[in-house]
Amino acid sequence: MSYEMIAVLMFSTMLLMMLTGQRVFGAIGFVAVVAAILLWGPGGSDMGYSSILKLMKWNALLTLPMFVFMGYVMSESRLAEDLYKMFHVWFGPLPGGLAIGTILLMVMISAMNGLSVAGMAIGATIALPELVKRNYDKLMISGVIQGGSSLGILIPPSVVLVLFAQIARQPVSELWLAGVMPGLLMAILFVTYILIRCWRNPDLAPAMSDEERAQITWAERFRLLRAALLPITIFASMMIPFVKGWTSLTEASVIGALTAVAAAVLKGRFSREVFETATRSTLAITVMFMLIIMAALSFGAVFDGLGAGRAIENLFVRDLGLTAWQVLILMQLSFLVMGMFLDDTAMLVIVAPIYVGLAKALGFDLIWYGILYTITCQIAYLTPPFGYNLFLMRAMAPADFTLPLIYRSALPFVLIMILTLVLVMIFPQIALWLPEKLL
Amino acid sequence: MPNWTRTYLHYVEAMNYRIGRFAMYLLFVIMAILLWSSITKITAFPAIWTLEMAQFTLVAYYLLGAPYTFQLGTNVRMDLLYARQSPRNRAIWDAVTVFVLIFYLGVMLYGAFGSAVYSFEVGERAASGWRPYLWPIKTVICISFVLMILQAFAHLIRDVAIWRGEEI
Repeated sequence: MSYEMIAVLMFSTMLLMMLTGQRVFGAIGFVAVVAAILLWGPGGSDMGYSSILKLMKWNALLTLPMFVFMGYVMSESRLAEDLYKMFHVWFGPLPGGLAIGTILLMVMISAMNGLSVAGMAIGATIALPELVKRNYDKLMISGVIQGGSSLGILIPPSVVLVLFAQIARQPVSELWLAGVMPGLLMAILFVTYILIRCWRNPDLAPAMSDEERAQITWAERFRLLRAALLPITIFASMMIPFVKGWTSLTEASVIGALTAVAAAVLKGRFSREVFETATRSTLAITVMFMLIIMAALSFGAVFDGLGAGRAIENLFVRDLGLTAWQVLILMQLSFLVMGMFLDDTAMLVIVAPIYVGLAKALGFDLIWYGILYTITCQIAYLTPPFGYNLFLMRAMAPADFTLPLIYRSALPFVLIMILTLVLVMIFPQIALWLPEKLL
Repeated sequence: MPNWTRTYLHYVEAMNYRIGRFAMYLLFVIMAILLWSSITKITAFPAIWTLEMAQFTLVAYYLLGAPYTFQLGTNVRMDLLYARQSPRNRAIWDAVTVFVLIFYLGVMLYGAFGSAVYSFEVGERAASGWRPYLWPIKTVICISFVLMILQAFAHLIRDVAIWRGEEI
């Protein structure tokens, strides 16, 4: 059997195994070790195990539990509530104002946290009930929270960019800076979309009534602005020591997590219950991600052993005679399709090493490519049947947010993400301007 | 269900629960280590052991904690078809596919065991300034996979009980 056939067989078996509903990491790991043993005999059995030792050397993964913990401390202690109130008061009078406020809240959370889980948790506990109470359209609510929270992996700090940095051997600080402008651009496009939708159909998002508006004094409005101090403090407590080189990335993430705890303690909201839920959920989420990354690394190692990178390069460049840009577009498209059906984190770990090598060989800037990759990852989070934000939304939202509704609500936001992706592809400066300016 | 299955469930799940709860708090050990590391960086003598120790602790954290997360049911599944099944159908399905998981964990344990034995025999050390012995962490990895396999069999027993419509 040719190597290409084996590769295709491995992917389709993985998809089938996942469809059985067994734990995703088990399905990926099983295909990886079985393929390794069939291909290389008993010696291949070490391939699974060696990924643990490889993972151990990826220092940046130490930030993962820290960001998860920070996110849960913020959502469980309802720290972001004042922040949301601030946006509510300032944007409430606009049609769709609270939806816009939710997007801005997500931008701020993204600047504090490197995962989309935090935004989903905070969005579902704080923004969702308020939006439902104000009779916002359910499709709009569900879309805004899912789309907005995915910014967590594009705006620094970002765990996905950390993983990418590890795989592509590029500096994390440069990748993080490159994510800033595309992230803000995407947020602006989200807001524009909401404005246009609500302007054409005000029933989707009723504005705050005049009586209610009259009740809020200007003094109160300005007092609520203080809520913005929290994200600024947390962002600064992490970024300044890291960018200045006083601490490493991992140490900075610990400082960020402890700052969030300190803020919760100061507000008198760090109860036993908050501590217990945050600690337990951090273990659960960290284990989930680590086991998937571990299994995916083994899978990737088998792929690498098959020479999949070389094979794909040969196929694209030599056999099909594609130009560099056609290959790039094809890579993004294939990743989008795979991201729909397979686990998103696993995709990153399996496919990135191959594609990064190819992008480098074709002469593309890897920092820029990392941003394209991350946006594709965001889209993968939102595309059914397999997307983390879809799962999280279903798990966190009330029962009347049905799965079809959640799927449908993500669509406009996916389209906007694709638009951003295309814009960043055509104008690489959107991503590269800031790191070039600052570094 | 035979009596021994009940005993097995009782002991294995209680043990994994306790170990998992212990592992859960290793998060704060990692924080303390990294915090100490950033403090000593200000002094003239930055600690050389902190990064590796944090790496080892992270491995212990997520591997020893894994069986407990199996109990919590927090490892993501692709629930496109799975979620639409009745609880009984799901149990039957799981009772079959859990062997996929057990096989994977078994191969991991096999690799981990060989590597740990090697570490013991030659007194393997990490290639770094601190040069710690590697057998302690490799032993922890072995133990973790044993615990995960024990927990996977516990799920198998529970699923078979649901399959047969028995209380357990």
